[in-house]
Amino acid sequence: MSNYLEDLAQSVIVGQEDRVKQLTQQAIDSGADPVEIINQGLIPGMNVVGARFKVGQMFVPEVLMSARAMNGGMELVKPLLLDEELPTAGKVVLGTVKGDLHDIGKNLVGMMLESAGFTVVNLGVDAGPDKFLQAIKEHKPGIIGLSALLTTTMLSMKDTIEVLKEEGLRDKVKVIIGGAPISQDFADEIGADGFAPDAASATDLCKKLLA
Amino acid sequence: MRANYTVNESVQFRILSEGQISEIVGAAIEILETTGAVFYSTEALEMLKQAGAHINGNRARIPSALTKQALQSAPNSVGLYNSRTGKKAMALAGYNSYYGTGSDTPYFVDPLRGERLRARYQDVANAAKVIDALPHVDFCMSLGLVQDVPRLTSDRYQFKAMVTNTGKPMVITAHDIQGFADIVAMSEEVAGGTTELRARPFLVLYAEPISPLQHPKDSVDKLLFAAEHGIPVVYTPAPMAGATAPCTLAGTLASGISESLGGLVIHQLKQAGAPFIMGGVFTIMDMRTTIFSYAAPEFNLLQAAQTDVAHYLGLPIFCTAGCSDSNVLDQQAAAEAMFSILVTGQSGANLIHDVGYLEYGSTGSLEMLVMSNELIGMAKRFVRGIRVNKETLATEVVDQVGPGGHFLGEQHTLDYMRSEFWTPSLMNRKRYDEWKDAGAKTLGDRAHEQVLNILAEHTPVPLTKQQLDRFDEIIRNADQRHGYQ
Repeated sequence: MSNYLEDLAQSVIVGQEDRVKQLTQQAIDSGADPVEIINQGLIPGMNVVGARFKVGQMFVPEVLMSARAMNGGMELVKPLLLDEELPTAGKVVLGTVKGDLHDIGKNLVGMMLESAGFTVVNLGVDAGPDKFLQAIKEHKPGIIGLSALLTTTMLSMKDTIEVLKEEGLRDKVKVIIGGAPISQDFADEIGADGFAPDAASATDLCKKLLA
Repeated sequence: MRANYTVNESVQFRILSEGQISEIVGAAIEILETTGAVFYSTEALEMLKQAGAHINGNRARIPSALTKQALQSAPNSVGLYNSRTGKKAMALAGYNSYYGTGSDTPYFVDPLRGERLRARYQDVANAAKVIDALPHVDFCMSLGLVQDVPRLTSDRYQFKAMVTNTGKPMVITAHDIQGFADIVAMSEEVAGGTTELRARPFLVLYAEPISPLQHPKDSVDKLLFAAEHGIPVVYTPAPMAGATAPCTLAGTLASGISESLGGLVIHQLKQAGAPFIMGGVFTIMDMRTTIFSYAAPEFNLLQAAQTDVAHYLGLPIFCTAGCSDSNVLDQQAAAEAMFSILVTGQSGANLIHDVGYLEYGSTGSLEMLVMSNELIGMAKRFVRGIRVNKETLATEVVDQVGPGGHFLGEQHTLDYMRSEFWTPSLMNRKRYDEWKDAGAKTLGDRAHEQVLNILAEHTPVPLTKQQLDRFDEIIRNADQRHGYQ
């Protein structure tokens, strides 16, 4: 039985979604414990991917393929689990702020978070305070992440934080910000909970904030 | 036997064959026609519809005939002038190369403290002053992003910092069309009027699409504003191969060039014949760190290829050089700056920006700028090539000196030594002991000293009090409109 787990982890590492799904289905059909499939197959595979990315052995698109493969397996196992058994590192709502259409950075953050086991709600671009507010009410995330490339739109980050205060939601959710003109100083200035210079460190930041 | 001929043997290169260029342009036109692009502007969509494009929501699919028509009507050359002397400073056409800074870096290396700080008004003023003094830097972009003034009107302050410190032509960024309008009003003050600015433009407006295939409202507004006012505009896509463009360099070229052409089509629809400069920063996303590389070999290939395509299309081209992914001015920065400076020079790119960028475009450095000025000098001499004619072959002089003599005392040497040889101002050619006695300074040390020297010694031609008062009035009005003060 342990052989399939190694095979499963390996298939996650090389990003073969079809193979992961096939192995997961076989395991389910032969009566394997769903928690074991996740904790000893899918997640260990993804952990190797994370470690290899960190030391520069794997590239971003490979991490993305591995995350897709892992999620492919996860989708098959999820219906078999009780709610409390569902593995998630936490939920993060992401969006590029109002007036800004630049979204590659924010999307990279989303991909890295998902590959680290977070559930990500992506609001897309041009997301004003109201859109974040609505998403917080609807999805109840632990963290919201705001992205901006333009110095004129980064002010919307402050507006969003102000709206959260007015609505009495500021202490219910952590706010993190990022983007080319953003710095720790600016995060401090507008009262955000954190800043990360890139997608990989954004993942570490989220883990830290929800620990 | 050839008689009466003059050839300047320039060492230019092309990296694409005629056939390859034709395939890339064909693919770009095909992308516009079949995939189309998104335009967040009702005016642009309306114009495109009238002209025969297929419109679906914000998406426009542009027939190849329309693109070809725009290529036909766009001018092949753009002239830019010195704002103080009124003399033509740059002819953006053919293989003429001019180098200048980039703009809007969030950080700047403070020349006195050596620290990387948020860029301020004074940094941009210093950059413009240094540019004004450097012989091989032909035009000015802000280098830094002014952040110690009101944020929504900082573009006006930034322009003031530039234009009060250099007469060299400049490429201008603005937050929006109102920002451009204010900067154009300030420029008219410098040029002496609307007609004068149009006749002798010293500024190029800057706008950019968002890859892949998106033309945001502000950028489209800027393009249309420039077309309407007859002010040259550069429309500069920044596709990242593997992320916002295909991973293959040919695919990135096709996709990025289709973005340039999409901008050109609406620009020429607004005003046929209005001056347009194509180009952009085409590069790769580093797959380990996700940075937008300003120095990868693939970046250099894409600069050269874009230039080949622009020459084929007969459009002036905006390229990128003198920049680095290194976080500080070090050996990496020098190697990377030289690479792109030489490549763009040899390709014959016209308006070559981003000289002085460190940290993949996040930090401006005056030391990087003056060091690159030196490198540009070297590259220009190299690109000029070797002139071969009767006079330069100098067989008569050889005959006069004869075996065993020397050439130091010959008139021929005096006549040619300054034009044939490039003379360094920063590169070390001192012998070891002399260099050691002078403080054993590195290139970085010497670049820093030159920066301090220029800042202390150089005085740009000042503007009049009346012009400065008018600037302040325009800026004050903008601040009031935005609710500052």
